[in-house]
Amino acid sequence: MKKLVVIGAGMASGRVLEHLTDADPDAYEITLFNAETRGNYNRIMLSPVLSGEKTYAEIVTHDSDWYAARNVDCRFGEQIVGIDRETKTVMGEHGPVPYDKLIIATGSAPFIIPVPGKDLPGVISYRDLDDTNAMIEASAKGGNAVVIGGGLLGLEAAAGLALRGMSVTVVHLNGHLMERQLDEAAGYLLRKDLEAKGISVRTQATTRAIIGDGRAEAVLLEGDETLPADLVVMAVGIRPETRLATDAGLEVARGIEVNAQMQTSDSDIYAVGECVEFDGNLFGLVAPLYDQAKVLAHALLDEADAFVVKDVATKLKVTGCDLFSAGDFAEGEGREDIVFRDPARGIYKRLVIEGDKLVGAVMYGDTADGTWFFGLIKDETEIDDMRETLIFGPAFQGGDTADPLSAVAALPRDAEVCGCNGICKGTITDAIANGATDLAAIRATTKASASCGTCTGLVEQVLQVTLGDEFVLPTAQPVCGCCDLTHEDVRRLIKSQELKSQEAVWQELGWKTRNGCHVCRPAINFYLLADWPVEYRDDPQSRFVNERKHANIQKDGTFSVVPRMWGGITNPDELRAIADAADKYNVPTVKVTGGQRIDLLGVKGEDLPAIWADLNKAGMVSGHAYSKGLRTVKTCVGTDHCRFGTQDSTGLGIKLEQVLWGSWTPHKVKLGVSGCPRNCAESTCKDVGIICVDSGYQIGVAGAAGMDLMETQRLCDVATEQEAIDVTVAFVQLYRENAKYLDRTYKWVAKVGLDWVQERIADPAERARLIAAFELSQSIYRKDPWAEHAQTQAAQYQPLADLTLEAAE
Amino acid sequence: METLIDTETRTFIQVTEYWVPEDGKLKLAGGNYGDLEGFASASGQTSFEKGEGLPGRAWAEARPVVFKSLTAPEFLRADAAKAAGLTSAVAVPLFDGETLKSVLVVLCSDSEERIGAIESWRADDGLLMLDDGYYGAARHFEFVSQHTHFPTGQGLPGGVFAAMTPILMRDLGASYAFVRAESAGRAGLTTGLGLPIPVPTGAPYVLTLLSARGTPIARRFEIWDARDAKVGKANEAELIDGICARDGPLWTAEGDPPRRVAAWQGLIGRVLGTGLPVVEKGAAGIPGGYDSMVAVPIHSKGELSHIVAWYS
Amino acid sequence: MSWIDIGHIDDIPLRGARKIKTSHGCVALFRTGVDEVFAASDACPHKGGPLSEGIVHGQSITCPLHNWVFDLNTGQAKDLAPGEEGHIATYPVRLDEGRILIEGAKLASRSAA
Repeated sequence: MKKLVVIGAGMASGRVLEHLTDADPDAYEITLFNAETRGNYNRIMLSPVLSGEKTYAEIVTHDSDWYAARNVDCRFGEQIVGIDRETKTVMGEHGPVPYDKLIIATGSAPFIIPVPGKDLPGVISYRDLDDTNAMIEASAKGGNAVVIGGGLLGLEAAAGLALRGMSVTVVHLNGHLMERQLDEAAGYLLRKDLEAKGISVRTQATTRAIIGDGRAEAVLLEGDETLPADLVVMAVGIRPETRLATDAGLEVARGIEVNAQMQTSDSDIYAVGECVEFDGNLFGLVAPLYDQAKVLAHALLDEADAFVVKDVATKLKVTGCDLFSAGDFAEGEGREDIVFRDPARGIYKRLVIEGDKLVGAVMYGDTADGTWFFGLIKDETEIDDMRETLIFGPAFQGGDTADPLSAVAALPRDAEVCGCNGICKGTITDAIANGATDLAAIRATTKASASCGTCTGLVEQVLQVTLGDEFVLPTAQPVCGCCDLTHEDVRRLIKSQELKSQEAVWQELGWKTRNGCHVCRPAINFYLLADWPVEYRDDPQSRFVNERKHANIQKDGTFSVVPRMWGGITNPDELRAIADAADKYNVPTVKVTGGQRIDLLGVKGEDLPAIWADLNKAGMVSGHAYSKGLRTVKTCVGTDHCRFGTQDSTGLGIKLEQVLWGSWTPHKVKLGVSGCPRNCAESTCKDVGIICVDSGYQIGVAGAAGMDLMETQRLCDVATEQEAIDVTVAFVQLYRENAKYLDRTYKWVAKVGLDWVQERIADPAERARLIAAFELSQSIYRKDPWAEHAQTQAAQYQPLADLTLEAAE
Repeated sequence: METLIDTETRTFIQVTEYWVPEDGKLKLAGGNYGDLEGFASASGQTSFEKGEGLPGRAWAEARPVVFKSLTAPEFLRADAAKAAGLTSAVAVPLFDGETLKSVLVVLCSDSEERIGAIESWRADDGLLMLDDGYYGAARHFEFVSQHTHFPTGQGLPGGVFAAMTPILMRDLGASYAFVRAESAGRAGLTTGLGLPIPVPTGAPYVLTLLSARGTPIARRFEIWDARDAKVGKANEAELIDGICARDGPLWTAEGDPPRRVAAWQGLIGRVLGTGLPVVEKGAAGIPGGYDSMVAVPIHSKGELSHIVAWYS
Repeated sequence: MSWIDIGHIDDIPLRGARKIKTSHGCVALFRTGVDEVFAASDACPHKGGPLSEGIVHGQSITCPLHNWVFDLNTGQAKDLAPGEEGHIATYPVRLDEGRILIEGAKLASRSAA
């Protein structure tokens, strides 16, 4: 096995070891040196440890078990004497270790300003856990602390010491705090917040000396002002720790020079973290260090990867100070600022735009959108379209965010969630409380959503409302952009919450639009009329033009008119009336359809009421060739004329059509009745296809002959004609009650399962209920819309006004 | 779900309940009474006018109120409390601006073993002074606290007051970790949760719950940030800090995805959705290993700003 | 301004539309759910679909042929695929005690527009 030696157990090298041992635990035999007597901990979380808001135990990243599990030989607390590149050996205090590959991860050393008194006891730099512990110990006595340096590290130290009960003064050379990350305005707000925490801030202050007798007692500033100090924290900056690399003769500029694979000038020696210099850059924040670690792990495994310098974002870990900065926000030619301030809430936001890209963002007080802005900067997104509203963040761009779960949370315990099995919300939440924490367990214990499955989405939402983020909701397709619920959820809630108007649906189910859109409104209209036939009436303005005009619109804006021919049977009077109408209204095309009737194509919209009235006079009604409803019942001639016929297929077809016509369904419904298994009526590709046999009727369902070609599946066999009619009606009503709008029967049956449909239809009580519900609905909808429109709404088909004459004058 | 529930039998708090104003009176809206059924039913039959009883006084005085004895007539449920062995109580009013949203009440029974602290601090000219507190048997710590004050920004009360955000402090007893550390260490206090209690009149109070190892107030604490400034326009909250005797630290490190819940999602989500506390026992959604939880919303500057929750 | 009275608001179904004929083609009048009235060209710029036969939602109309959606305030098509463009002419219209008045001058000049 190849030998890997790592010098330094910091966050960057720790991440390298994680990637490396995850990808290939046996690639290297690893030895890890660390000058500190401990392994890798989350160094950027030292500030909360200093303040008492975290403990050291909480920020340990790798404990001894972690190293043991990966066979890492840990040599902690051992100094490195030197690196012998000739013999490829690292010389430790306690003996040499040979390497095939070596990683230098010596990190950085605090920069100590060269003033008199810098070495006095009581002067502490802020870099590692020992420094932190020293500060905690010093703070226990209370007294005054002076922090030299108003950058990220210095301010976190100051806040921590203040929380520990010390009186803290921050001394900062520059004009405003954190000048590398913040502009002046944000620096001002930060200063105000720190001062509210009892921290004094001195900007443009130069330290001349640290004075004291045997230990630090005060800090002397330019201008001869002295600040009393029992503790002095030096936090003015860091510099890469390069001593070992320099001694080994590697190329070192400000940091150890590396290429994009983190390789130093010696191809067997890598460097990573704060000690490196890449392309003129040094690194102090954690994000690029992690990127470097990934690249280095890949390099060690001979996988191609390259480090690139990306923008980084800064956050300050001081409880109660929310700031965020990313990118470049210096003023410059061609740069444009967008600034937002809310003085009352102490909020300042500034975006810097160059061309059509966001290049920098500084925020104070409200950092909620920081990550989003950072993404725009990193991805160099073109922001021209949203420039006006950019500063208000993503919530503004994408419209309101509603509470998709509030409707489900608001359901009472006795609201029925699963209609098949009559399961209420309370039963499900009780089951969850008893340990059923996923869908399968809910199905097993309560039967909810175990039958047709259309309430699955709702059950999952009940799980999420009850369990919180312990339960991850699978993504479901909402009806449209107007809401967050699926069709199935909406159907179920319309039933269980007894929503009986469009307004009730919009309000109770959290619609985001005023009255839906062309996608959801027709669906909601159907669901309401199917579930509440008496209370809710069909709304023509929520239907597509064909259903509203009771005629199919053609591509030139004219319409087609198809009168009903019951079971495909007609007579000379009807044919004469059709011929007369075609002449009278200049119908250009007359076509025989596949559904055994006649289509008059090319009728002008204004002529519709008149042609309907003429056809009505001959006893004909609408064929509903335009509707999501019963279209045709195709028949063969059956026993009347055919020598093979076994039953009166034409008669049954006519009876079925007379029962079903006028009803609205989720999608179109076509029937076929064949008199014998030769199947001349092509019943096996219909939504309901009946084949007559000597012993009775075979009823198939869920066929189609459209974009998808589906053969019917056998629902059941029945002996009598009346039973055949009952089963057909019950099936259509079950479809009306449960299917998603615009799902043909074959799609719906595939979702709920044929078994479930068979069970429901076979249950005598359920079958009777379905037939009664259908009849109730048909008491309203089984009538000819043509007659109604021709008599009462003819004016609607005419232009509201004719201004052609007026304009000509 | 096979998680062991190793509930401490000796908890510092016996009863937690919350009261919600309805038609000008405080009515019981939820609570965890453990097995004290008699006291539970007495509470269900009681309501309080503003100024009446303990919850009514917290409302009227707009500050946390401590009763170190529960005798009539001041305490309306005195007989039931006596029967249940309850001897002390703290009521905390939760306001949203001028409006009282609810009053949280915790009740304890004194014993020599029960150690902990529930304190209310008031700001007075830049200093936080103890307004009142209940300490169980931690008498020395009580004495020290009465004679301690914190400048803004210092210590748990001063830190909470300066940041206007709940703060969780660990290892109160470690020699260096806390201003009152020495005495806290002797009392066995481990974890401190401080939360701002905004009131319509004047500066906010700071409530601190100091939990001891032997008789903990809770063994899991969480702080959720729900400010627009943190989570944007979404009605969500992000877990910003927490400690759990079973799961260890609950905060997420930089670079890891934050833990968020949306309104109505789970018990924390219910607080977000309703703006009222949640006090539950044995409910679904309580993290594994715990049996009961209390979650309290804090309304600040016109929004629900934080939720603090504790579990045992 | 020459306002022409073309009918009563109740002549248009709620969340519906009617059209009027002009010498330069049809203009559609839309009535929204809150009794606002808008006037715009009846022909969809995509394939000439009759917008007066579409679905009115909010202050938008969806064309019955291919579901193009237009904002009735501006006439601008919404949510188009990149590269598609669509705009319908809109006309000043106002309500006076339930009567719908349309501005004649712009209507007359629409062929030029």
